[in-house]
Amino acid sequence: MSGSITYLEAIREAQYDALRNDPAVFLYGQDINTFGGAFKATKNLGKEFPGRVFDSPISEDAMVGLAIGAAIEGARPIVEMQFADFSSIGFNQIVNQAATLYWRTETHCPVTIRLPSGGTAGSGPFHSQSMEAIYAHYPGLVIVTPATVEDAYWMLLDSVALNDPVIYCEHKFLYYHLKSESTGERSLPIGKARIARPGRHATVVTYSAMVHDAIRAAEELQLDGYQIEVVDLRSVKPMDTDTILGSVARTGRLLAVGEAFPWGGVTAEVISRVASEGFHLLDAPPMRLNAKDTPIPYHPNLWKAHRPTVSSIAGALRSLLRY
Amino acid sequence: MPTIPILMPQLGESIAEATIVRILVDSGCSVEAASDLFEVETNKATMSVTAPCAGKVTQIVAVPQTSYAVGSTLAAFEISEEDAQNLGFTDAPQPSIAQQHTTSMADIVENLHFQISDDDVISSPQPKVEPVVGGLPVPAGATGASYISPRMRARMLELGLNASDLAGVPGTGAGGRVTVEDFEAFLRGLEQHRMTKASPMRIAVADSMRRAWTRPLATVGSPIMLDAMLAHRKKANPKPGPALYAIRALALALAENTAVAGRLIGNRIVHPRAIDIGFAVEVEDGVFVPVIREVDKIPLVKLVPTYNKLVEQARARRLPHDMNRPGIATVTNFGTFGIVWATPIPLPEQNLILGLGAGSKVPHWSEEVKQFIPVTEAEITLSFDHRVCDGGAAGRLLKRVAELLQRPEDL
Amino acid sequence: MRLSRFLEEKLGALYRAGGRIVGGVYLGKGQEAFAAAMGVQLRMGQDIYGPLIRDQAGRLAFGEPVIETLRTYLGAATGPMKGRDGNIHRGRPRDGYMAMISHLGSLLSVVAGALFARRLKGTLGDSIGATSVGDGATSTGAFHEGMNLAAVEKLPLIVSIANNQYAYSTPNTRQYACENLVDRAKGYGVHGEHVDATDLVSCLTAFRGAAARAKAGEGPQIVVGTLLRLAGHGEHDDASYIPDRKRHTHEARDCIDVAAKFAVQQGWVTEEELVRQMEGIRRLVDQTVAKVSKEPVPDPFKENWQALSTSELVEGQNAS
Repeated sequence: MSGSITYLEAIREAQYDALRNDPAVFLYGQDINTFGGAFKATKNLGKEFPGRVFDSPISEDAMVGLAIGAAIEGARPIVEMQFADFSSIGFNQIVNQAATLYWRTETHCPVTIRLPSGGTAGSGPFHSQSMEAIYAHYPGLVIVTPATVEDAYWMLLDSVALNDPVIYCEHKFLYYHLKSESTGERSLPIGKARIARPGRHATVVTYSAMVHDAIRAAEELQLDGYQIEVVDLRSVKPMDTDTILGSVARTGRLLAVGEAFPWGGVTAEVISRVASEGFHLLDAPPMRLNAKDTPIPYHPNLWKAHRPTVSSIAGALRSLLRY
Repeated sequence: MPTIPILMPQLGESIAEATIVRILVDSGCSVEAASDLFEVETNKATMSVTAPCAGKVTQIVAVPQTSYAVGSTLAAFEISEEDAQNLGFTDAPQPSIAQQHTTSMADIVENLHFQISDDDVISSPQPKVEPVVGGLPVPAGATGASYISPRMRARMLELGLNASDLAGVPGTGAGGRVTVEDFEAFLRGLEQHRMTKASPMRIAVADSMRRAWTRPLATVGSPIMLDAMLAHRKKANPKPGPALYAIRALALALAENTAVAGRLIGNRIVHPRAIDIGFAVEVEDGVFVPVIREVDKIPLVKLVPTYNKLVEQARARRLPHDMNRPGIATVTNFGTFGIVWATPIPLPEQNLILGLGAGSKVPHWSEEVKQFIPVTEAEITLSFDHRVCDGGAAGRLLKRVAELLQRPEDL
Repeated sequence: MRLSRFLEEKLGALYRAGGRIVGGVYLGKGQEAFAAAMGVQLRMGQDIYGPLIRDQAGRLAFGEPVIETLRTYLGAATGPMKGRDGNIHRGRPRDGYMAMISHLGSLLSVVAGALFARRLKGTLGDSIGATSVGDGATSTGAFHEGMNLAAVEKLPLIVSIANNQYAYSTPNTRQYACENLVDRAKGYGVHGEHVDATDLVSCLTAFRGAAARAKAGEGPQIVVGTLLRLAGHGEHDDASYIPDRKRHTHEARDCIDVAAKFAVQQGWVTEEELVRQMEGIRRLVDQTVAKVSKEPVPDPFKENWQALSTSELVEGQNAS
């Protein structure tokens, strides 16, 4: 285990470095000080940075409001939502106050809001949601969805450094399961997608934890002689249309995969961009794969059938490749 | 020993999924090559999924009475190294169902609010792929290049190709359609051949014929005796060519019933505004079709100078360009090449083309003299858009033309 | 107060004349004393102010120039919001002058956050924050969350609650069930005062005390003022839902008349001086309206259509 770092530790590490590098940074959230957060993403940070890590009341609206006011005064707050799902209570402050501030008043709003996102078995409808599409709908927000330990670290630092409000969607499933040797070197900036796996027969565009499922599905299809390209969006807004189109230009076939609900959303946006800007690149109808259009189920049996999986991604790819 | 997935096979064209009716083996049992493993049912038939070689069923994923997309994993199958080599499963990674869980619970750091269990690993067996996988619209009967994807269309436009250029390309896509890969392979194949540039005239004719060929065309034919016409021609001054007799005869016949020369557009017959008739003139590497206006209103002899002038202009490639009023039918005298019978294709904007075969002396039984007499006979043909009229109407028109040609003095 | 009243009457007249005002006009008629009394406690550039819909007098007292008001209302591109947002939403957040959004109660936590950041940086000093709500906004979750958070963080925040009896057309009886809104202060663990908001002197006394306690580190201060809105919710509203008997109660007194009479009685000012002052106000407003009317309006072709300050992250602009 020595020398290895998990996705969660990378998030903690990034916050540690942000606090150390910039006195304007502070952390605000529920149970994050002494307790270290529900997932321990701020473990020991309160001790190491006294007076910079604050337990907030259970008031998501006011937590975000406070961060916005502080940002106006030059601070660079990081707000931890205990679960992405609860950010709905702070929704108004995020989309109406933070997102509009620069446009309305030319005042910077460097707020980073961390959303522990996505599903894990047994978490049910209110501890499993993926909120990126809802926030991406609003102008004035940057929405990042790191899928790797390296991105978890660097994109959080980049988010804090941005002068705009950032919704940082960290996937709970990756917290403990995803490990890397180190946080690596800074690679791509926010706004650039990454070719997570090169290929030439079909493109899977996805983000966050689904990147790993897509790669495993691609490995499964390699058995059949197919080279599947996997594009990790990294940030869903801005969306790197050029990289997506470049990949589809190579493969002619597109599958967009997202863990979120099917209506609208990131996969719909990917397909709409490719259909309108890259119609001539498509040799097969673009496909999408999302969770089912129901709330997220509690029981693991139901949950596993609710969301895209390695085998459903592989199945979708087979349909796409057979076209 | 390697483990391979047993997949739902493609059980016929346009079949996207099939239902498991029965599972014929138990998990853990060893089977011979080609043993039936599953009984599956499509909307067309009931079939078996069989073992690709001898091996052991290590896990059954499929559930009876459940529908699976083609390509879905139904079972895990353990086989020998040798069989794996033969089946092409060489250095490829293991399928997901055989994946090992690599993270242990001990690795999970303290998490007091919320436990994430290691059993959540996404690669646990997935019984169903529907309905999160939407069905793709597999084009029914899209064999070959009859269905063209946006990418194919863009590529063809780039290369200036038409669907008919791809007629000989075998398709490997859904329903046998030609995929971009098939297309590119076809293009690579062409590079092996000697290629010369087609003339602009060839390309123009090709375009016209391609458009013309989008309709269901049919041809009727009939013999006629040319003696009356030839006799008339001998006396006439100036002398009309055989094609001009046919042009005039066709014009008079059409004037009696313009509907046959109409075009079917949607659910309406579009009648011609005037009896303008074209005629084919062979030029180098192609054909021109000059048009004589209102042929029904001008007597035959008066048409001769117009006809001759147009032939001259066509050969010099100096035809007056009048695209606003193309002819309503065309006459082609393929008899000049010694051809007796042909099925010429009507121009894309026309419904009819009248063909004239070469004449020859044949014995003809005369009831008057009760013996065979020599006559000059030729076949005339009429090709038509079968959507606009049927063989009967076309035949009646042809008979009427033949009749008129028997009385050249009335032309 | 009188400048505010005159300015607002001018805005009302321009609105009713049609074509001049961009967007709606929501007036603070009758609330000038309460709003101004808070505004004068604040020092532009040092304190933080988060006004709401009926705080024209407070804005002027805080130090907003008349031209800023008019540029926004008349839709000039030179205004602080450049046509991107209008009228009562104006502000200059970087100068501690917050720009409200339409969602009631949501500025509480923002003003609290600004104070919080200053305390963190060590630049708080004796600066304070102040924000206004009406009786209606006290029913929102944002008000509760913000109030509670400010109390937990013990921030020097004054929250004025102008209880003008109606939230648009909804009377108090349908808005809250406690006897007096000031009773809530106890629940939040903060100091609360209740004043007759038609009386400028009482208002000044209450807000001066609140500001002093906030500066002394006593945490958030609630000041509830009882009054009657002397106009419709907006200029499109004739307030027909306010019964006549209400218009003749103590709360319906015009705070400006009350204040002027008191000032004359005290010998602070003469009737003649008041008339002269009014002339000056009229000149200022008329000249400013004339000036602003000639200023350019926003041009959609010159507009920089980007909602992010980080240009390279604006979609469609990073292709170059």
